[in-house]
Formats: sequence, C-alpha cells, structure tokens
Amino acid sequence: MSSIEKMELVNIVGLIRYLDDTLIHCIRSGVFHIEQSSQIAEESGAAGFVNLHEQNPYKDLLKQIISMDLNGYKLHEADTASVAGMTDQEMKAYIEDMHMRFSAFSAQIAQYTDYISGRTQALKQLEHLQGMNVDLQKLFQCSHIAIRFGKLPSDSYLKLSYYQEKTFLFLPYDDDGEYRWGFYFAPKDSIAETDEIMRSLFFERIWMPDFVTGTPEQATSDLQADLEIAQSELYEAHKAQQELLERESEKINAVFCKVKFLYEKFKLRSYASIYRDKFYLVGFIPSKETERFKKLFADIPDVSIVCKPPETATNIETPVKLKNNFFTRPFSMFVEMYGLPRYNGFNPTGLVAITYTILFGIMFGDLGHGLVVSLFGFLFYKKTKNQLGAILARIGLSSAFFGLIFGSVFGFEHALDPLYHAIGLAHKPIEVMENINLILFSAIGIGVVLILISIVINTVLNLRKKDYTEALFGNNGLFGLIFFGAILFMLVGTMFLDINLIKPWYILLFLVLPIVVMFFREPLGCMMQHKKYHAESVGDFIASNFFEVFEFLLSYATNTLSFVRIGGFVFSHAGMMSVVMMLSETASAGASPVIIVLGNLFVIGMEGVLAAIQVLRLEFYEIFSRFYTESDGKAFTPVSINYDPVVE
Amino acid sequence: MSALDKNAHYATITKIRTQYGKRLSRADYEELLSKKSVVEATEYLKGSTMYSKALANIDASTVHRGYLEMILRRNLFDRYLEFCKFQQLDRQPFYRFRIVEYEIKSLLHGIMCMNAGSMQSFISSMPAYLVTYASFPVLDLGKATSFAEILSVIRGTPYYQVLKDIPVRQDGLADYSKCELQLRTYYMRWLLNLATKEFKGTARKALTQQIEMQTDLINIINAYRMKCDFHATADELNEAMLPFSGRLPKSKLQELYAAANTEEFLRVLGDTIYGKQISELDKCTDSVHFEHELTKLRCNLARRSLVLAEDVSVSLYSMMYLLEIEVTNIITIIEGIRYQKDVSYIENLLVIQ
Repeated sequence: MSSIEKMELVNIVGLIRYLDDTLIHCIRSGVFHIEQSSQIAEESGAAGFVNLHEQNPYKDLLKQIISMDLNGYKLHEADTASVAGMTDQEMKAYIEDMHMRFSAFSAQIAQYTDYISGRTQALKQLEHLQGMNVDLQKLFQCSHIAIRFGKLPSDSYLKLSYYQEKTFLFLPYDDDGEYRWGFYFAPKDSIAETDEIMRSLFFERIWMPDFVTGTPEQATSDLQADLEIAQSELYEAHKAQQELLERESEKINAVFCKVKFLYEKFKLRSYASIYRDKFYLVGFIPSKETERFKKLFADIPDVSIVCKPPETATNIETPVKLKNNFFTRPFSMFVEMYGLPRYNGFNPTGLVAITYTILFGIMFGDLGHGLVVSLFGFLFYKKTKNQLGAILARIGLSSAFFGLIFGSVFGFEHALDPLYHAIGLAHKPIEVMENINLILFSAIGIGVVLILISIVINTVLNLRKKDYTEALFGNNGLFGLIFFGAILFMLVGTMFLDINLIKPWYILLFLVLPIVVMFFREPLGCMMQHKKYHAESVGDFIASNFFEVFEFLLSYATNTLSFVRIGGFVFSHAGMMSVVMMLSETASAGASPVIIVLGNLFVIGMEGVLAAIQVLRLEFYEIFSRFYTESDGKAFTPVSINYDPVVE
Repeated sequence: MSALDKNAHYATITKIRTQYGKRLSRADYEELLSKKSVVEATEYLKGSTMYSKALANIDASTVHRGYLEMILRRNLFDRYLEFCKFQQLDRQPFYRFRIVEYEIKSLLHGIMCMNAGSMQSFISSMPAYLVTYASFPVLDLGKATSFAEILSVIRGTPYYQVLKDIPVRQDGLADYSKCELQLRTYYMRWLLNLATKEFKGTARKALTQQIEMQTDLINIINAYRMKCDFHATADELNEAMLPFSGRLPKSKLQELYAAANTEEFLRVLGDTIYGKQISELDKCTDSVHFEHELTKLRCNLARRSLVLAEDVSVSLYSMMYLLEIEVTNIITIIEGIRYQKDVSYIENLLVIQ
C-alpha cells in the first residue's frame, strides 16, 4: 500500500559541448534528481575534476524583464513556440525596447499623479478659506501688512483675549474641532513679535503654493479645472500603457519563459564536474524510469548513462519519494509535514491514511456533516489541486459512515430510524449519550491497539536495522510490548473478565522483569552486538536510567489516556448539535430553519477543524513518537524550471 | 450615600476599570521607546493606543511637541470630567480634587512666571481647558505684575485666605517657596478633611491611606532633595516641609530631617514602612532615582486600591493618579526621543506598572 520508491544512481558522462543538451534532456525527463558530482569524484579518489563556476549570462536580462512595470500583469509559465527563433541578442534588444517604453509610461503616470496630489492638497486648504473675498496674491503683496495662513489649536484660541492689546488680529474661517483655520495679520514691523506669540500658542503655518492665485473661490475654480485636465491626461496615459500591454504581454511573457528556462538550465551547469573535454553529472532516478531515461539521450552522441544501486555512493544521501496508492496518496502531506523517512526506512503514509480516516470519522460522526465535508473537499481539490481537499473528500465519507452508526444526520437523531427499521434493527446501533462508558472505553481500546501496532512496527524496523537495543530492550521494543500488554491484560482481566492476575509470579515475570530489562537496555544491547558498554559512572547510569524508565512508564499511561479525546469529541459533537436543535425549537417557525442551517455550518466548521487537528496530534505525538524517529529523509526533487518571476 | 446610590455608582467603577484595562502595556512602552522620532511616536500613539481619539485630528508630521503634551494632559482632564459627570459625581465636593489640584498648579505657575517676568510663557503653557472650570479667572493671572494683583484675581476663593498673609518683598514679588508650601498644605488638608467627612468605612480608609502616603512621600522626597542638593538642616527642613505627616510617626519624620547626610537619611528611611518596601534602598543615591522608587510605591498602592475598590471615590482617585503617571511617562519618552537620549536612560525614568 505504501512504500518508498526504489532509486538508481545515475552517472552521465559526455563531451562538454553537449552539456547543455544533456541538461535540457534531464529537465524534460521530469525524473532526474541532480546532485553535486564533485562529491562522487572525491569518493572515488579521482583527481583533476573541477566544478564549473560561471556567471549566468541570463541573470541581468531576467532581472530586467521582472522589474518592468507591467501594471499588475503577472508573468507565468506559457508556451514559448512564438519566440523559439529569437536569438539571445534579439531577446535582449526587444526587452530593452519594452522596458524603455513601459518606464516612460510609468514616469508620465507618476508625474500626473504628483501634480494631481499637489492640487488636491491646495484645494483642501482653500476649503477653509471660502468666503474670504480677497485676492490671495494681493494679500501677500501688501507692503505694510504681513499675513500668515494656518491653523491655531482651539485651546490656544481661547487665550487670544490675553493679547487683545497687541497689534495683530487673528481671523478664523473654519473650525474642525481641534483647530481654528484662519489667518492673522500684523504690521510688518511687529510681525516677528507676532510670529513669536503665535508660535508659543502652537500656531501651524501653512504655505500657499505659487500656483494658487486670485480669491479663494477663483483659485478653487482654477484648480478644479486644472485637476480635470490632469485627470483626463492621467487616464489617457493609463489607457496607452494598457494598450501596449495588451499588444505585447504575450510576447513579453514568452520571452520571459524562454529566458527563465535558459537561466535555470545554466544554473544546473554548476552541478557538473569537468575533466579535460568531458563533463560528469550524477543524480538519481526512480528505478522504473531507467529505460525511458536512457532512451532520451539516444540523439546525443558520445553520452554515456550508467545506472547503479544507490548504496554505491556512500557520500550522498539517497533522496526519498513516497510511493502510495490512490487512497493514501493525499495523506503523504501529513508525513511530509512531520518529516520524510530515510531511503531504507518505513513509509507510514498507509498507517496514517487508515488511522486518520477512522479516527476522524468517529470524532465527527454525522451522515450529513460527513457528506458536506466530503463534497466540499472534492470540489476544493478539483479547483485547486490542493491535497487537503482530497483528504477531506476521504475523511468526510468516513464521518458519513460513522454518522450511520451514531444515527445522526445534521443533528437530527431520529431521521435514520426508518432505515434501521427497514434493515431489521429496532433502533440506531449506538445512541451516543446513552452509551457513554462504551464510547469512552472503546476510545481507550482504539488507543491501546494503535500503541501496540506502533510498538510492533518499531520492533520490526529496528530488528531489520539490527539495532537490538531499540528492537528488544527499549520501551518501544519487545520488552516494552510485553510490559504494556501485561499491564493491559491485568487491568482488563481484573475489571471485566474476573481473572485475577495480581499475583507475585505474574508481576515479577511480566512487569518487573521488563522494567529491569528496559533499565539495562543499553548494556544488554551492547552485549548482543559484542560491543563494550561505557558509562560515565554508576551514579550517572542509575540516575539517568531511573528517570528515563519512569518517563517510559508514564508515557504508556498518558499516551493511552490521550485517546480518550476521541470519545470526548463524539460527545461534544453530539452535544453541540443538541444545543443547535434546542435553540431552533425555541425560535419562531421562520427563524428555526435558519438556526438549524447556521448551527450546522458552525459545527461543521468549528468541530471539523478541531477534530482534524486533534487527530493529527494523536498521529504525530502518540503514534509517530513510538516508531518514526528517523524522519529526516531528503526529498526527491527532480530538476525542473520554476517560472516564478524571481531571480535567485 | 444610600445603598441604592452606592450600587448606582458601580457603573462608574466599571467604566473606570474598563479604562484601566486599556492603559499602555509593557509592549506599548517598548514600542514607543523604539521610535526614532517624535513623529513616529505620535503616529504610534495615534494608531495603536487609547489616545487615538484624542490625537485623531492631529497631523503627526507637523504638530508641535509642546502642543502634543498639552493634548495628552487635556485628554487626562477630559477623562476625569467624563468619569465625574457619568453619574453626576461632581455634585460632591471631593470629586473636584483634580480641578482644585490644577487651579493650585496654575496659581503657583503664575506666581513663578510673574516672579521671573515671563507671563507670556504662563499663558502659552496654561491649560486652556481649565478656563471653564476654574473658580477664578485664570487668564487674568497672566496680566498680574505683582503679588497683590494675583491676590486680587483669586479674591473670593479659598486660595486668597491661604496666600494673603504671605510676606511680600519690596519689589512686589512673593516668596514662591512659601506660597507653594501653603497651597500644598491647604490641598492635602482639604483632601484629607473631605475624605474623612464624606466617606465611611473601607472607602474612607482606602482614601485616607492614599492621601497620607502622598503626604509622606512629598515630605520624604523634598527632604531628600534638599539634603542632597543643599545639605539642609533639620530646622530648614521643618520650615520647608508640610507641617503634618501621614502614616509616618512625627518622630520618625524628625529623625529623617535630622539625618547628617543622605546615607543616614536612607538608613533611617530603611526602617520605615516605605523603606522596607524598596529593595536596594542604599543604591538610591541620586534624588531622581530616589523619587522614582518612591513613586513606584505610590503606584503600587494606587493599583491595588483600584483593583480592590468597591467605592467609586477610591476607584477614581487611584485611576487618576495612575493615568497621570502614564501621561508623564509618555511625555518623558517624547522628550527623550526629541533630545536623542539613550533608550536605557529614558527607560530608567519611567514608572511602569
């Protein structure tokens, strides 16, 4: 169901003049994960290999294309057939011409925008002077009187009466609450003193721009006329820019795609090693693609493709590609979130897919809600190709299934009764609120099963790796399994089966012995591998292992009880829907359906998200922590062209 | 106050506590301290704090720093009025405490400016919002050229009785220190008197505790300053300090005044209820740091009183003190930014609750 794709280590050797063609074929294959070839050369002890360090000739051109102001047009991946025949020089000349023309438009638009902004500001100031029927220019040209326009804080306006004997007058024309807008005038020989007084009262002077002439009304009218002209010219500039963009955008985009391809391909040259007139490339491909890959290079003379097992390159970590089927594939998103397994590791996607689906279904069990989530997920995936949509489509169906078990459809607890009667059942299989113990114990039971499975997986994986400490003597190994199983058996036997296992021999053999083994796991593991065990000191050994074993025992209890939340969510889901139903019953006939719809949507949204997060937490913390410790695998990333408009 | 009235004022207590919840947080102070210019600091206050409404009509790039401070203080006064008017608390004399305080401050400022011959600076810095609420024509103070003229402005107010016997110099000017002492004494006695007369039980106890602490701190801070800067003697201090103490026994106060130097002063203070609450009291060797530590004590008491208060008088009195400290902090930061002081220097001057 889930495994890791088998890889082949590929060595490509050819003449330098065919390096670019080789790289193009590697990119187009879609399956070649490139590695630094110098690592392999070092490993083999070969001398004389040098890396290619070249300046990318397409970088500046690419930057120029990306920096063009295309008025919001987004460069994207597209067909480059229309520019296939363009040489590098022709593309450069074309882009320079476009860059110049778009820059000219941008400059023009900026100029008009500034012009409009300046006049708009001046209009705002003139608003406060309406009613003052005096030519502003003449005012400023007075030879004996000086005038200052501005705003005075209203608080300071109250203090002006103190200065009534001074030779200045402040005339307010507007009041915006905080400030009085107006002007003051004084004889020129006392204007300095007046300015000082007004400054001490926090008067803020406003300078009238030169282009404001005439009375405030005339100036307003002139400015409005100027603004109209400027706005129309701005509109024309935008229109011309847009027309140019419409004419040239496809060609610009095609040139961008071609240049980006050439740029990215050139970057890959730095992975090659050179020896005399030959290049050397190394990478990985999935084993099943070997034949197809080799055939791609048939048209390139003197290129040799050699495929070997990945273990032959000890210096390079083999990349990992998860292999999953239709059902499990979307859940690889969660595994990748946690971390990829190593190449020889275990792909837990299958386990995650099954457990996540079941657990979510139980916690969110409602036929209607499940179908809604599934439909939403399906449509979301169709539109966006987001894996989360695919996950929702699957887990929604699980919720719908458990909704049939719990007999709930959009919170209506008896809507499915006819169905149950038709199949011969007296009532729904499980009435949630009347089977509290059953649900809680079942939740714990599910937890126990999953923990046991996790311990078994860990034991098997570590036996394969010959890590006997973990496989046999660790808390997630054989003796951990024995201890956990024994405790469970004792509890279940005592509480439900009337089997009394609280006996000295049972406790000694199945509880104490495993604890002791876990305590001495490291020395025992070393003994099995015929290695010597080194400890700092006896005291250190005892202290650290005591606390570690204590933590192991605690984690069995806490991890098991953590699964009670499955039951908790069953109850909370049912409880929330019963609240919605209660509210709808108390509302009027018209409001009741609205409450039911909105309440259901709210519960789907809130409970759905909470349940999804809680299941993920159980997966990562309770399950993965027991066996999935080597999650630092390197992802398989075949070389491809990234058409995002960025230059790295 | 009837039980019904007392319950009715819970609305004001709730309003006060809501405002308290909106005070500047540690993160706000850190953000303000990180600003590089007065404009940035103003923008922050305008955009992200409860001062946004007060600063809504201000252009941060053009507003004068002095005016900005005035707006913050005016906002403080407006909030005080809002609390008082919400359930008509202003009918009771005690709730005029802020107005009386501002009147006294204006009066003292007027006397100081008159003595310095710069009444124009009095007018420019005088809080205009006081004009409507003061019990005397504040603007007329700005026209006074002698102490007698100042007295004529305040005739008919209690301040006249307080100041009329202050000796006047030949040039018509009055001893500012004596004026300050008399007015401060009047204010603290007036507060204490009203707190004792108008309130009962826990409200009276909480109010008097704060007022008495305030009295003590005024005496202690001023005495320490005078010891530090002028090596003042016990007699000089007795003349300059408030003639009564709060929670400190008179004997302890006298012991402080009689200290030979600042080290001994701190040692004696260490044995008092205030000194015991200050860790590293012996390191408060400069008066600024010393005042800072004592102000923190006062803030702590105000905060505790506000949180536990069941009477609106205690809530309001505590809240106004805390808001005053907050505004002072903001002004300190703005001045610090303006004069490009180090962040650590400015931070040491702040009293952050």
